[in-house]
Amino acid sequence: MSDKDSHSESITRYEGPGIEERHGIIPTWLAIVYAVMFVWMIWYTIVFWTDKG
Amino acid sequence: MSTTANAMFDRGPAAPGAYATATGELFDRELILRYMAAASFWLVFAPTVGAIVALKFNFYDFLGHISWLTWGRLRPVHVMGVVFGGFSTAVIGLTYYIVPRLCGVPMYKERWGHHIFWMWNIGLAVGFISLALGYNSGIEAGEFPLWVSIPVEIVLCMLTIQVLGTIKNRTEPRLYVTLWYLTAAYIWTALNYAFGHFILPYSMPGVNNAAMHGLYIHYVVGLWITPAGLAVAYYFLPLAAKRPLYSHKLSLVGFWALAFFYPFVGTHHYIYSPIPYWTQTIAIVASMMLIIPVWTVVANFYGTFVGAWKQFQDSYPAKFIIIGALYYFVGCFQGSTEALREMQRLTHFTDFVIGHSHLTVFGTFVIWATAGMYWVTPRVAGRELYSKNCAQWHYWLTVVGFSIMAFDLTIQGLMQGTMLQAGADFVDSMSAMKPYWFVRSLAGIGMDIGAALGFWNLYMTIKHGKLIPVPPGAPANYLPEPKWS
Repeated sequence: MSDKDSHSESITRYEGPGIEERHGIIPTWLAIVYAVMFVWMIWYTIVFWTDKG
Repeated sequence: MSTTANAMFDRGPAAPGAYATATGELFDRELILRYMAAASFWLVFAPTVGAIVALKFNFYDFLGHISWLTWGRLRPVHVMGVVFGGFSTAVIGLTYYIVPRLCGVPMYKERWGHHIFWMWNIGLAVGFISLALGYNSGIEAGEFPLWVSIPVEIVLCMLTIQVLGTIKNRTEPRLYVTLWYLTAAYIWTALNYAFGHFILPYSMPGVNNAAMHGLYIHYVVGLWITPAGLAVAYYFLPLAAKRPLYSHKLSLVGFWALAFFYPFVGTHHYIYSPIPYWTQTIAIVASMMLIIPVWTVVANFYGTFVGAWKQFQDSYPAKFIIIGALYYFVGCFQGSTEALREMQRLTHFTDFVIGHSHLTVFGTFVIWATAGMYWVTPRVAGRELYSKNCAQWHYWLTVVGFSIMAFDLTIQGLMQGTMLQAGADFVDSMSAMKPYWFVRSLAGIGMDIGAALGFWNLYMTIKHGKLIPVPPGAPANYLPEPKWS
């Protein structure tokens, strides 16, 4: 297991409630959604800034 | 602790006293149970008013001859009742459970909790009576008159101080995601409530008032209901799934994306209005960009549950969290796309909007608050859930009833929008909606019966649930593991 993998699998425990939390990852498909939305945001804002769009 | 209170909540042996600092307990069991009982009451009261309001669409004269039971008086009681009565009372009660456990210290200024309880609930009762009598500030979702708004604002400020003070005193080194959301929710809402109740009704006339109202109403939804609901869900999700939260990274993205984009969405209620075009565009873009926090949260939730589906079978909190996440995904996607100009043209002034608001406020956040109540009530009371059958009926009547209602309102809205775009007369488009309104009413009544059964069950759990034995030598903060919750 690489350092990167072991970091994403590392677990933090919150003692009071006994909640555990993985450091985790951002899945690739979700990162693609972020990128698409970001591009769309720029496009829509520029094109529809005024009603001449 | 008064004798009356003791008699009301005859707690189990795991509950040694009233005030945490006096007993070595982290939280005040008495106070939390009072909140759970009060939230249960409001969560039956407000939807019942909603069912009456819904019936008036089909039966125009139903209770129409009594001024305080007319549609215009009851509708704000329903909206304010669900948002501030049911949901918020549950969240405040859960705050008194969650925050001390995540911080490792009792709540800051702990005794304020009892004053807040009475000020909040009496304030709500006076507020609903005032609304029914026609005293309304005229700001949707900010309708309480001044004599109610003042104590409610004081309560919100006191709660904010309590949460911040507890975090400052904490022994737990890291702040779990729930605390980020809760802190933000209380700070934002203490400010927004003052804005909506003390500034908006008394200044800014005309279109500016409408624009600002768009911001206020969406701050109630996006900067109170959403972060408070997510705080609750994030807390109980890994506990109910009995697994680690899927990803801390996703929690970070979800939180900051919500904090960044939500403040700009309000004006999407006024597309094609005299409000500047670029302002509308910003609101549309921000609404669409909410896809990022929503999908992130849903990925985190379902990622946590992967491999733990058995919990879905055995635990009512798990069931409510998962179904709430599904409604969250659907409702918020609908909300984002609804902001687009083409969709607005089709759906504005139709019940599509009402379907969306129910999917998010009730389908998601009230359901997540309900999950928290199912988790906390038996544990804090030290008792088994009173009736598994009632919980089962509560769950299924909610899921079936609500799914029918949401689908019905969505289809109805699209049909009405299509009719209007095709040039149909507005009155004709209303008449065509009658069968849909009737189905919505029936579905709502079914949900209401489910809620009544479920919240009566929680109240009976507090009073008469089977006591769970406490093992010898158990620490003061010991919490039992009841079945089914």
